[in-house]
Amino acid sequence: MSTAALELTGLKKSFGKAEIIRGIDLSIGKAERHAIIGPNGAGKSTLFNLITARFPPSAGTVKLHGEDLAGLEPYQINRKGLSRSFQITNIFPKMTVFENVRCALLWSQGYKYSFWNLVNRSRALTEGAEAILEQINLLERRNLPAGTLSYAEQRALEIGITIAGGADVIMLDEPTAGMSHSETDYITDLIMKVTEGKTLIMVEHDMGVVFGLADRISVLVYGEIIATGKPEDVRADPRVQEAYLGAALEAEH
Amino acid sequence: MSDQLTTDPSKPAQRMRAGSMTLTLGPWIVAAIALMVMPYIFTSNSALTIMNQMWITVVFALAYNMLLGQGGMLSFGHAVYMGLGGFFCMHLMNYIEDFGLAFPLPLLPLFGGLFGMGFAMIIGSFSTSGAGTRFAMISLGVGELIAACSVIIVAFFGGEEGISGDRTYGLPFFGVEFLKQIEVYYLISFWLMLSAVLMYLFSRTPVGRMANAVRDNPERAQFLGYSARWVRFYSFCASGFFCGIAGGLFAISYEILTEENLNATSSGVILLVTFLGGVGFFFGPIIGAIAFTLLQTVLSLQTELWAIYVGALFLATVMFFPGGLAGLMMMHVPALRLGKASGLVMPYIKTLIPGAIGVLGVCALIEMTFHFRHAAKGDHEMTLFWTTFDSHTVMPWLIAGIIAAVGLGVARATAPAMKEAWDEANTAGGAS
Repeated sequence: MSTAALELTGLKKSFGKAEIIRGIDLSIGKAERHAIIGPNGAGKSTLFNLITARFPPSAGTVKLHGEDLAGLEPYQINRKGLSRSFQITNIFPKMTVFENVRCALLWSQGYKYSFWNLVNRSRALTEGAEAILEQINLLERRNLPAGTLSYAEQRALEIGITIAGGADVIMLDEPTAGMSHSETDYITDLIMKVTEGKTLIMVEHDMGVVFGLADRISVLVYGEIIATGKPEDVRADPRVQEAYLGAALEAEH
Repeated sequence: MSDQLTTDPSKPAQRMRAGSMTLTLGPWIVAAIALMVMPYIFTSNSALTIMNQMWITVVFALAYNMLLGQGGMLSFGHAVYMGLGGFFCMHLMNYIEDFGLAFPLPLLPLFGGLFGMGFAMIIGSFSTSGAGTRFAMISLGVGELIAACSVIIVAFFGGEEGISGDRTYGLPFFGVEFLKQIEVYYLISFWLMLSAVLMYLFSRTPVGRMANAVRDNPERAQFLGYSARWVRFYSFCASGFFCGIAGGLFAISYEILTEENLNATSSGVILLVTFLGGVGFFFGPIIGAIAFTLLQTVLSLQTELWAIYVGALFLATVMFFPGGLAGLMMMHVPALRLGKASGLVMPYIKTLIPGAIGVLGVCALIEMTFHFRHAAKGDHEMTLFWTTFDSHTVMPWLIAGIIAAVGLGVARATAPAMKEAWDEANTAGGAS
């Protein structure tokens, strides 16, 4: 295997005396779809926040394509090709749907902080944003303020913003949280489609989605990964069943 | 929200381009023509003075709204950037006079702008790391600091009497020496037009768009590759630049700058002006500046209590129409699109006219109370609404009280019907 897309070594995080992440080693290969599952409070979202530098880690390193991310700000990490979504919908509610996506394209199209370009003049921006809108099926909603969309549409928009910049490592935090069955199917198909050929790391509670999408699964319990492997191996792992999966699978059926 | 002036991008691409030209250019052409013909309609010198003040306030308010409306940054000390730009221009003017420099006056505001931007770069380098309370408090602190400096650093600020100059020593600009008020008017109008267009275009650039994004959700913007802090910094510098231009125009127009141009009161006024006009739309501050200047100049001739009424209006705006006057206007766009706005006319007349009469009644009571308490002893005669009466008799009080009560009562009674008409006008379909 060549350099991993994302490599975590000895990653730890404590808030005061509470150790939330207690030493995580994980290597995720290029174009792999990797799911992180675990009970509530296991530290899944914290792990995401450590990787994307929303919080600084207490110890350990995060490497993106072999490059250490220590000390970088979220926006610098994003420029290196790592993009994430949030568990709680995190969009620009007062701006239109189209504007939301266009803002997500600006940096990757090289506009930086320029004040000598007019965004309306750029065909590449308009067409790029429209292509994303088409992918996430929101073309008809393009001129509505994003805050007025339905919940599922806002989640789709969140994914659209996350992928728009062309990042090759995509991190999705519970993309189907709070969705109905049909909405979940829609989002799952969408994720499948838009992450084609990219590295996907996702936190997810819905086992149907996890087993449908993931190439590999890691099980996080109390800040530690107790198992990593192919879906069928993880499913068969007795420790996983004991800690989490058994209960979750029973609840599913 | 700030997008209302641009095109509706849902139209097909070709039509969009043509449509965008007429839609975006239209208001600008109308504004430019209006600026040009105004002096022919309002010819008196005092009208020119009022308009000059108005246009300077417009530039300042638009620059302020680059922060407040576009960037979500509440500054309590923004008069500093305009004031400093003005002081710098004043000094330049005096240098021109003292050393006989060949310098055309119309270029002066540019240097005010650069000075304002330079100072904004210094302050912005540490104040823009956050947008909330921290930013507001730093802006307040810097504002107080500079206002205090104005009596300490006398060489630059001229102490309590400020510094003054004479604009006519510059190089004649195509034969114009700016002796006359009307020449100054056109100079200000030119800079107003130029600044407004540039500020509008700024909001259409990548950094301008990201200012909106950072305002809405700074964290999300960070995860899109943009540093919220740098986006705020660029907006702050741009705002400082246009504030400085406003300051330069002030220096040219009034030929004097004092501590008053820097202090917290002036900073408060521009916040009030901008909010009154509406922060959510690009043109909001323009309306706010026009309305406020008119209130300030015209109303203050009529009554000493004008500040009370402006304050009440501001309070009413914050409480009932947070979108400001521009928001109030734009609220009617859906009804107009549905072709149902005509259904609103009668209910408006039935509610708003009695309401306005009632408010005038209340104003009469306030004015009479003021006269009763503060007029010279034995001076019982006062004139209000073209009527002269004795403020120490019962009759006027009774009349004003009844007018206030009846007016507001009728407005209140008809308000539900207006609300109903409003809902009806904003619902698609159905019998209109």
